[in-house]
Amino acid sequence: MSETTEKIESNGDARRRILNIAVSTVLLESGFETVDKISLETLTEMLQCFFTEVGNSANRYCELSGRVEPVLADVMLALINMGISLQGLEQYAARPNRHVIQPPQQAPVPRT
Amino acid sequence: MQMSRMNSPSVGDDDGGVGHALSDFLLQLENYTPSVPDSVVAYYLNMSGFESQDPRLIRLIALAAQKFLSDIANDALQHCKMRTSSQMSMSKNQKGPKEKKYVMTMEDLVPALQEYGIIAKKPHYFV
Repeated sequence: MSETTEKIESNGDARRRILNIAVSTVLLESGFETVDKISLETLTEMLQCFFTEVGNSANRYCELSGRVEPVLADVMLALINMGISLQGLEQYAARPNRHVIQPPQQAPVPRT
Repeated sequence: MQMSRMNSPSVGDDDGGVGHALSDFLLQLENYTPSVPDSVVAYYLNMSGFESQDPRLIRLIALAAQKFLSDIANDALQHCKMRTSSQMSMSKNQKGPKEKKYVMTMEDLVPALQEYGIIAKKPHYFV
């Protein structure tokens, strides 16, 4: 039991580290050179919270209309309900010199 | 940290147009990679019950999150610039045009977040 919980924690940690890198990338793009640890951690927490909240909300909208798999409208409703403006999204996507983080490597499935 | 829901005034007026534009935009996301890897976003979405087979939706969410962060960072940068410039003018030491290094601190982040309706209060022992 303790092994599994430890494994889950380390997995979460790996993803959290990638979120950390993502936040740092965004900050670097917007012109900051350095960030102190508490701000970085706050933004990372917010990013994680954002994903969880959008997932939760979109799933609820989806199930409310009797579907199983979320569609674009559900995600849009979730984002708009959270007060996220979708206005400049295309321009933001097309911005120059954007960085891409390498996806994490998948551990091979252990043989049992 | 509390996230309060606010109405976004910019979207309310012409949501039909935005919806149409966004569904076109979704097609472009087919071969686009946001900064946050798909698998990481998908993990957090799956944790909260969102299971989609369409990677474009995941990319859209990743992009929206990134833009949200970017907007906050821009606001914080403006705060930081204003603060440092006022400090520079207060202390009249002429060191010439030294290189500017912007450091993000909670001092700048908290007012920036407040504009988005997010109240960030961290205990001093939080790291």
